[in-house]
Amino acid sequence: MLQRCGTGDAVSFRALYERQSGRLYGIALRITRQPALAADALHEALMQVWQHANRFDPARGSPEAWLTGLIRYRAMDIVRKHGREGGDAAIPDSADEAPGPLDALLASRDGKALHDCIATLEAAQRRAILLAFVDGLTHSEISARISAPLGTVKSWVRRGLLALKECLGP
Amino acid sequence: MSGTAEEHELLAAEYVLGTLDAEAARDVAARAAHEPALGAAIARWEERLAPLSALAPAVPPPPDAWDRLAAAIGAPATVPAQPGAAKPPLLGRVGFWRFTTAAGFALAAAFAGVAFLRPPQTGAVAALVPTNGTPAAFIAEMQRDGSLRLRPLDPVRVAANQDLELWALPPGASKPVSLGVIPAAGRRIAPTAPPEGGTQLLVSLEPRGGSPTGQPTGPVLFGGTLRSVD
Repeated sequence: MLQRCGTGDAVSFRALYERQSGRLYGIALRITRQPALAADALHEALMQVWQHANRFDPARGSPEAWLTGLIRYRAMDIVRKHGREGGDAAIPDSADEAPGPLDALLASRDGKALHDCIATLEAAQRRAILLAFVDGLTHSEISARISAPLGTVKSWVRRGLLALKECLGP
Repeated sequence: MSGTAEEHELLAAEYVLGTLDAEAARDVAARAAHEPALGAAIARWEERLAPLSALAPAVPPPPDAWDRLAAAIGAPATVPAQPGAAKPPLLGRVGFWRFTTAAGFALAAAFAGVAFLRPPQTGAVAALVPTNGTPAAFIAEMQRDGSLRLRPLDPVRVAANQDLELWALPPGASKPVSLGVIPAAGRRIAPTAPPEGGTQLLVSLEPRGGSPTGQPTGPVLFGGTLRSVD
């Protein structure tokens, strides 16, 4: 009979949970706008961590970026399946925010570089990229949210991304 | 940057940003599993854009979130929270993956969860799955005699000059051990020693005939953990 695996790492898993769950749940809540769906995204993402933490590769990036990717993909999958109906309108989106909140990027060195590069984008490009990444909106959702034609939004996003890459370097 | 390279870069960027529609996103995820350059471009964009997640304020998760996880992993809900504990060893077993990246492949993190199954006449199973919403691709069932039966759930296409190779990474090990080359149609493999519970089973894409080095040289396309199904 094979042993169940993993319970030996439960203490570490709990420690990771204590450190990261608030950040990850916040990301998921911002995208799903519904606490129950955000909780599902958190659960699924952390189960992926539990089962595949050894797939994390520090040569590829930081643990935070890896975890961020896991929670965002799960949250966006869930939103695509369930929609955002019934979402909490009290949760603001980044289109509502003044430039001030970008200061949150300044806490880390990578964030500082990204902050400075984001600042060089045209306002429309910046807004479209933030709505996509932070709020998880699709092209058409961004188009509806800020009343701009779909093709224009796509173009803002693409030009903004290329400008960011250029600014951030290889 | 050529037009094609720019399109490639934008595809990776929009995948990470999340603006592709569901079908296009699935397509990119599937392609990334077979195209190391696309996988690496996705990894770079994840790293570039990750700091933006700081713009979503942290929110304490619902009080029962930990209990739910503890139940799912079979741990007691009372596992102590240890503020200031050392960096979790969960993120520490990375030597092998550093190797694959050094070889120029960056798909190591692109895997999803493992299914629990309860088929008859098997001692343990692992579902070897790619992530990002694509369905499970292989089921590995350990037979009572210690052999492994591999069944593809979806057709797996492999170029004529390539093979899929099965690897076992036992708990605590840093390097995988080859269990042999598998045809895409699946088959039965009899390892010299049956893998123990908790062993990661991995499938990598290798040159025809299998890895020439004894370690994975191509991208690891599928992975899952062998679980007891008593």
